[in-house]
Amino acid sequence: MKKLLEIDNLVAGIGDTRILNGLSLTVGSGEVHAIMGPNGSGKSTLAQIIAGHDAYTVTSGTVTFCGRNLLDLAPEERAREGIFLGFQYPVEIPGVNNAYLLKAALNARLKHEGKKEIDAFEFMKIAREKMSLLDMDPGFLNRGVNEGFSGGEKKRNEILQMAMLEPRLAILDETDSGLDIDALKAVAKGVNSLRHPDRSIVLVTHYQRLLDYIEPDHVHVLSKGRIVRSGDKSLATELEEKGYDWIREAASA
Amino acid sequence: MTAEILDQVSLRSVVTGIPQDALSGLRRHALDSFAKHGFPSTREEDWHYTSLGIAAEISNDWLQGSAGEDVPEHAASAPTDTGIDADWIVVTDGGIDRQALSLLNERLSDGVSILPLSALSSLPDLYIDDSIASFNAALLRDGILVRVAPGVSIERPIGFAILDQAHSSPAVSQVRIVIETGQGAAASFVYVDRSGGGPKRFSTSVVELLLGPDSAIDFLRLQERAESHVHTSQFRASLDAGAVLQHGAIDVGGRLVRNDVHVKLAGPRARASLCGAYFADGQQHVDNHLFADHLVGPAESRQDYRGIAAGRARCIFNGKAVVRPHAGGTDAVQSNHNLLLSENAEIDTKPELEIYADDVKCAHGATVGQLDEKSVFYLRSRGLGRDEAILLLTRAFAANVLGTLPIPAARQYVDRLVERKLDSMIGGSGA
Repeated sequence: MKKLLEIDNLVAGIGDTRILNGLSLTVGSGEVHAIMGPNGSGKSTLAQIIAGHDAYTVTSGTVTFCGRNLLDLAPEERAREGIFLGFQYPVEIPGVNNAYLLKAALNARLKHEGKKEIDAFEFMKIAREKMSLLDMDPGFLNRGVNEGFSGGEKKRNEILQMAMLEPRLAILDETDSGLDIDALKAVAKGVNSLRHPDRSIVLVTHYQRLLDYIEPDHVHVLSKGRIVRSGDKSLATELEEKGYDWIREAASA
Repeated sequence: MTAEILDQVSLRSVVTGIPQDALSGLRRHALDSFAKHGFPSTREEDWHYTSLGIAAEISNDWLQGSAGEDVPEHAASAPTDTGIDADWIVVTDGGIDRQALSLLNERLSDGVSILPLSALSSLPDLYIDDSIASFNAALLRDGILVRVAPGVSIERPIGFAILDQAHSSPAVSQVRIVIETGQGAAASFVYVDRSGGGPKRFSTSVVELLLGPDSAIDFLRLQERAESHVHTSQFRASLDAGAVLQHGAIDVGGRLVRNDVHVKLAGPRARASLCGAYFADGQQHVDNHLFADHLVGPAESRQDYRGIAAGRARCIFNGKAVVRPHAGGTDAVQSNHNLLLSENAEIDTKPELEIYADDVKCAHGATVGQLDEKSVFYLRSRGLGRDEAILLLTRAFAANVLGTLPIPAARQYVDRLVERKLDSMIGGSGA
C-alpha cells in the first residue's frame, strides 16, 4: 500500500502547553482510519495541525504528505494539494454564499492542478448531484455558509464540500457529534460513497457509534498526545465495552 | 476670526471681483456670514476629530479661476462608464453648462423643472448658517434648482455628475443643489462625485431637499474623489407630513472627507432612512456626521452605516437623533458597525440619542471589530488564499448595508466601485 500520510514522532502544542507527545501515524492510500480517544487526548489538535492552523506550534517531528513536508505549506496550499478537514464546529459565515464558496474552493483546486476552471452551469449540475446523495435541499446552495444551519445541516454541508472537492485525504473531526440517528446515517452514507482507492479518510471520534456506519480499516487510540494502541475495528468495540480508563491504565503501565 | 486661516481680505476681494450676476447678493451675504464664523476648529465638538487644516493653505492662487459664473472651457462629459441609466446634469469644477441644462429641462416631463440658480428671478431660501455652507455660497459659480410638481413621478433617476477636473494648481470648487417636491411627487437622484488627480483641492457641496407632504425622494451619493483631495458635503433635508426619504452614501475616495447628513422630520408620519458605507485605506480620513431631528411624531428615522478601514486610515461616525418635546411616537434606530483591517487604522464611533418626549421607541448600537480568524482559517482550509478569504469576508460585511441602498439602477456600479476599492485595500499596499 502506497503511503499517503506519514506522521513521525510529532511534538506540538499551543504556547507552552504540549498537546501531542511524539505521535506517529501512517495512512496508506485508500485506507480508512479511525482515531479515538478521550477528551483532551489531542485528537482535534492533530486534525488542526494537519490542516495547517497557525495557532499550534510544532516543536519536533515530521508530517509528510505524498512525500512532501506538509508543515511547510500554508493551509490553502494543503487544501489545493488535496487535504480536507471536516470541522468539528463548522463556522457560520453570513453574507458568503454557500455556492460561491464551493465554486471558489473547487476552482482553487483545479487551477492548482493546471486544469480548466469549472463554469457555473457544470458546477450547478455537479452540486445538485452531490446534494441529492446527501439528501440536502438544493436551496442550501443559496444560503450563507452554514448561516442558521442546524448541527446536522452543518455536518452535511461539510460532507458536501468534501464530495465536491474530492480530496486525497479527508480528516473528519467529530463529524458524528451532535447528530441524531437520521443525520448520522445520511452523513455516513455520504462518506461511504466517497470511499475510493485513491482517497484516504481519517475519522476522529469520541464514540464507537460512527464506526457502525463507516467501517474503518484501522483503529488507533490516542491518549495524552500519543497513539497507545492500534488495531482493526474490533479495537473500537473493545474500547466501547471497557471504556477509556482501560486505555489510560494501559498507557501509564 | 482666526488669522492663520483663510485670509479674509483676499477672499473678499475675490468675491467682490466676480462680475455682477443673479447670485451676487447671495455671495456678499454669505461672505459676511463666513467672516463671522471662519472655518470650524477642532475645539468645536462636532469637529473634534476632523481638522480642516487645508483651509489655512487656501490662498489667492487657489481661488483664481475657481469662482464666478463662467463655465470652464472644457466641460466634462456624463459618466457613462458607470452604466447608470439616468438623465445626467454635469457640473464641471462647480460650473454648470446652462445650455445643456435647458435642453434637459425641455426634454423632461411638464411637472419637472431644472434650472440654474443664476436664472431665477428670486432665489429660494438657501442655507448659509454655518461656516462651510457660507463659504460654499460666497464662492458659488452657480447652483441647480430641481422642482417636481405635486403628483408627478419621475421614473428615470436624475444624475448629478460632479466632476472636478485635474488642475495644474491647487483649486477650490463649490456645488449647491436644491430639490423641492410637491405633494405626492416622487423622484430619485444619483450623485456621482469625482475629481481628477493633481495638486490639492478643497471642494464643498451643499444639497438641500424640501420634501412636500407625502412625497418621496431616493438619493444616492457616490464619492470617489482623488486621494489627495479634501471634500466636505452637506445633505440637508426637511420632511413634511408623510414624506419618505431614502438616502444612501458610499465613500471610497478623498484624502480627507467630511459628510454631514441633517434630516428634519417636520411632519407626522415622515420617514427617513439614511444608509451608507465608507471604505478608507492609506492615509484617508473619512468623517460621517448624521443628525435626525424629530420635531413631531409619530415619525421614523433609520441610520445604518458600515465602515471598513485599512492601512493608517481613520474613520469617524457620529450618529445623532434628537426627539423634541412634541415628537411622541417617534421610532428612531441607529446602527454603525465597523471593521478594522489593520492595526494602524482607527475608528471612532459615537451614536447619540437625546429624548425629550414620552412614548418613543429608540435604539442604537455601534461596534468596531476585526475579521474573525476562525472564518479566515475555515476559508483557507478550503483552498482560498489569505487575501481572497479576507476579501470575501470583508465584502460580506459590507454587503449588509449595500443591499439596502436606494436606486436599483446604480446597484451594479456600486458593486464595481466597492469591489475596486476592496481590491486595493486588501490586495494592494492599503491593508
